[in-house]
Amino acid sequence: MQNSTAIKENMLDNTVNIEKAKKMEVFEPRIIGFLCNWCSYAGADKAGAAQKPYSPNVSVIKVMCSGRIDPQFILEAFKKGADGVMILACHPGDCHYKEGNYRAVQRHRLLLRLLKQFGIEEERCRFDYVSAGEGDRFVSVINETVEAVKKLGPLKI
Amino acid sequence: MKTAVYFCNCGTNISEKINPEKVEDAVKKSNGGIIFKSCGFLCSEEGKEFLRKDIMDNGIEAVVIPACSPRDHEKTFINVLSAAGVNPYMMQMINIREQVAWVTEDKEKAAEKAVHYINAAISRVNLQEPLEKKEIDVSPDAIVVGAGPAGLKAALSLAEAGRKVTVVEKSPTIGGLPVRYEEIFPNMECGPCMLEPIMGDALHGNASGNIEFLTLSEIEDVVGSYGNFTVKIKRSPRYVDAEKCIGCAECIAPCPASFKNPFNCDMNERKAIDFSFAGALPNVPYVNAGVCLRFNDNDGADGGSCRLCIDACPVGEEVFKFDEKEEIIERNAGSIILATGSALYDCGKISSLGYGKIPAVYNSIEFERILASNGPTEGKIKTPDGKEPQSFAIVHCVGSLDKNHKDYCSGICCEYAFKFNHIIRNKIPSAKIYHLYKEIVIPGKESGSLYRHAAEDKNTVFIRVSDINGMTVAEESGKKVFSISGACGSGGGAGGGEIEKRGGEVSEKISVDAVILCPAVVPGGDMDGLAGILEVVRDKNGFFEELHGRTDVGKSTIKGVYLAGSCHSPMDIKEAMSEGMAAAGYVLSGLVAGKKLSIDPISAVVNQERCSGCKVCIGVCPYKAISFDEKEEASLVNELLCQGCGTCAAACPSSAIKANGFTNEEIFAEIGIMLA
Ligand code: FES
Repeated sequence: MQNSTAIKENMLDNTVNIEKAKKMEVFEPRIIGFLCNWCSYAGADKAGAAQKPYSPNVSVIKVMCSGRIDPQFILEAFKKGADGVMILACHPGDCHYKEGNYRAVQRHRLLLRLLKQFGIEEERCRFDYVSAGEGDRFVSVINETVEAVKKLGPLKI
Repeated sequence: MKTAVYFCNCGTNISEKINPEKVEDAVKKSNGGIIFKSCGFLCSEEGKEFLRKDIMDNGIEAVVIPACSPRDHEKTFINVLSAAGVNPYMMQMINIREQVAWVTEDKEKAAEKAVHYINAAISRVNLQEPLEKKEIDVSPDAIVVGAGPAGLKAALSLAEAGRKVTVVEKSPTIGGLPVRYEEIFPNMECGPCMLEPIMGDALHGNASGNIEFLTLSEIEDVVGSYGNFTVKIKRSPRYVDAEKCIGCAECIAPCPASFKNPFNCDMNERKAIDFSFAGALPNVPYVNAGVCLRFNDNDGADGGSCRLCIDACPVGEEVFKFDEKEEIIERNAGSIILATGSALYDCGKISSLGYGKIPAVYNSIEFERILASNGPTEGKIKTPDGKEPQSFAIVHCVGSLDKNHKDYCSGICCEYAFKFNHIIRNKIPSAKIYHLYKEIVIPGKESGSLYRHAAEDKNTVFIRVSDINGMTVAEESGKKVFSISGACGSGGGAGGGEIEKRGGEVSEKISVDAVILCPAVVPGGDMDGLAGILEVVRDKNGFFEELHGRTDVGKSTIKGVYLAGSCHSPMDIKEAMSEGMAAAGYVLSGLVAGKKLSIDPISAVVNQERCSGCKVCIGVCPYKAISFDEKEEASLVNELLCQGCGTCAAACPSSAIKANGFTNEEIFAEIGIMLA
């Protein structure tokens, strides 16, 4: 009797472990992607027009320019449960508003220091450039970020 | 707020991947039974009609449209909303075609993502405000900078359409570069004669009352923006009253002072009071105060006492205005056309070619002046020693197609090089002419004949050279001797010793009496100054950058500032004229007298109560749209200049700036629901 209970318990333990392992395996990160209207959003459209599948884990929020992205937005996203955040901008020199992307990259650099203090890894907050023509690049940037965040696992703060 | 979701199936483009019923159930569940309708093609005529009617019938106040990219149809639906009497800023379009259906493999996940997007949009649209477009009065008038072919054509076209135009030209004359050319390609027309009717119309024609020419003038400052520019123009004195002078030229011969005439590339002298060239327009001489004795002698009561020109003038003393001062003239205009033209690459930068060191090595404009009957040699081909050269080397591609200099082809040099060939052959029938070139480029339906004349001419030799910089020119007893390494046949590779021959001569050393260098076309004039004042962007070669290299070559990066002619790219006269016309077209279609310009309300607004006056926003605004309101001790946005990027809103440490259409509240709502 005792034995069987033990076995049962053991089995239960095992299933829990398997469930756990499964959960780890299917961890689907939730990532917010802030895209500027002129280049990166258009780059996403380009990938779409080419019907290039990519990971669905990134939810896009459009802003007119990456310069609009207030660091508060990123903190808010992490607070509300995002496992990662992406900021995609026009390439240097190509910002529709001339220099919004320079501001964005400066703010991002500062923010990374702050995030570190909160224990949020750098890889969870990616800044990159995607032009309107770079559908392929958009796909790879998305997939790379999702993979990186998957590797880190869910964000615990 | 009564909100509705109109889901577009886009045929099956969306519905095949994202099941509308499933989405409807989920969206209704989380939004308290919100109105949700789907439609086959919302952008079709029937779809739009359905949308308009449904909005009106149900008294909808805010709309969410999951469909294609807003780049495709946001404007379409904005119009429908307006037609239905709903403020168009109460809409949120979600891109579930390009950014979900077409890129998500798993149908479940696609639907789930669409639901998140729709829910986030609903929460956001409920926070949106019915923004209103503002309308402002605009000036239909224009400023044209540069009075070459492009500028003249633009000015004349605008004037004929009834617009007032101020043409700002830095030199004392109008006509630009072509007035320097005795004959122009492709059909050997005389340059000044070709321009004469246009210049005549602009100065004295029916529409001339609408054109004001300011010569010896430059743009000093520009404030304001599209529709309402205020332009400060600095005019240097001419010292001769253009209204009173009759252009008889009696004053010139008696003038005792002279200097090198820049119009003729300093190859001859002109008097202190003189015309730049015979036939210059406006037909009024100008005085160079740097050499005129009245400004440089001290023998009179106030300066020089020389009055030889005054005494020679049949009109009288009132023609002369020696006390004239530099003047700042202010003009208002809705648009600015930049037609500042181009210049030649400095051949001195390729020192092996001897330009500036060896006599009778000319650049192409110098040679044009030598060919001109009103030039320094009155059209006779003569080297500085007074001899008629019997052999010529015309070097194409100088500084072109070369990454160490200019990596582009200017597209006009070969054509004028073959024009030179034609003119030399007419003037000196026995002359030997060599063409040294890297590539031959002669685009256009009319350009073949000058090339053929040269190619079929017995005394003309073509030598293809792989590297123009690799040639050296040395002077040996009056002859210019070219050492050519890397000459090659026209079909062969670089570096071979084989020379393509025409006319039966093969040599790796050629010696000639005169050399004509055809350099790359480069930006001309004071590009730095103008670009700084207007904040227009320049490309990597220094030309003004087009808003788009193919679809909007006539627009600069600044709204309301247009580009025409070779200030943005090398081109010939024909293209420059068309571009002048095109720029006039932009002005005519963009700003119409009596019609107001509407301003996009997607702009930033400062809450002055909240503003701490730190001025951080002023520093980050790329458009200088924010100023400091001293009275309120707070920042203030000029919504005409504001382009709505929102950088200031992100920078404001007091959250006192609202980015219309992208407010903090709206974006926070989106983030929250997206992650719910
Ligand atoms: S518009 Fe793309 S970064 Fe500014």
